[in-house]
Amino acid sequence: MSTPGADERLREALDALASGVRVDPDAYRRASAGWRRRYRRRRLVLAILAALVFAAADAVGLWALSQADPNTHVIFSDPAHRPEAPAQVDRIGQP
Amino acid sequence: MTETGTRPRGAAARTGTDSDREAAIAELFEIHHLPLVRLAVLLGADDAEDVVAEAFYQLYRRWPRLRSPEAAATYLRSVVVNLTRMRIRHLQVVRKHAARSGDEQGHVASGEESAVLREDQKALVDAVRALPARQREALVLRYWLDLRESEIADAMGISPGSVKVHVSRGMAALSRVLEERK
Repeated sequence: MSTPGADERLREALDALASGVRVDPDAYRRASAGWRRRYRRRRLVLAILAALVFAAADAVGLWALSQADPNTHVIFSDPAHRPEAPAQVDRIGQP
Repeated sequence: MTETGTRPRGAAARTGTDSDREAAIAELFEIHHLPLVRLAVLLGADDAEDVVAEAFYQLYRRWPRLRSPEAAATYLRSVVVNLTRMRIRHLQVVRKHAARSGDEQGHVASGEESAVLREDQKALVDAVRALPARQREALVLRYWLDLRESEIADAMGISPGSVKVHVSRGMAALSRVLEERK
């Protein structure tokens, strides 16, 4: 700070400007009503969005299931393992 | 029976938390509203009360995530500083557009300012307003709120070293203005 006392002058000027500022005495009631309304609206929008995402996920899941081939087995995807027919045994002769 | 027992307890707890929050914020509003409006005015906000109302809304919304109730004042100050900076930046863009289209309106001093300030103080305040936003914030927080460098750094979201730089550059610029007026 090159100018002597400049910080004091700055303090005085800022104090003088600040002391001239007045606020509405009813500011709390007005502001709190505003932020409560915004908060409720925000929660409502979030709830609607969550419900929409849930419903969309449900719809996509149901659509995917309805498109699936009923003959495709997704759980047992190995080639069908059928019990082999017993080999032809020549039963002629000794029982 | 357990479920029917827990539901009202949970609802009561939530209602209790909400009323605690309402009471705490009402108390904070009572204490900090006027100083924060003054801070916003000193930082150059043209709609200081709206800026402060927005800061209290942000506090209301994030109350459950607040580190401690004692941190609320610091948080509010920081939000006011940031919102004012954003608001001024927005107004600068709007004014630039208005200047291009030819319907520019000059800054009109409020009744309080012109009634309270002396000529030299008005010149100093104008010089502060002409500073870059960061320098102006650092000077107001330092010389009006008498905050320490670490507190200014928290409020501005910068390092204490940067605070020193902004304060010294801002004061150098103001000194030049004062020298020129002599």
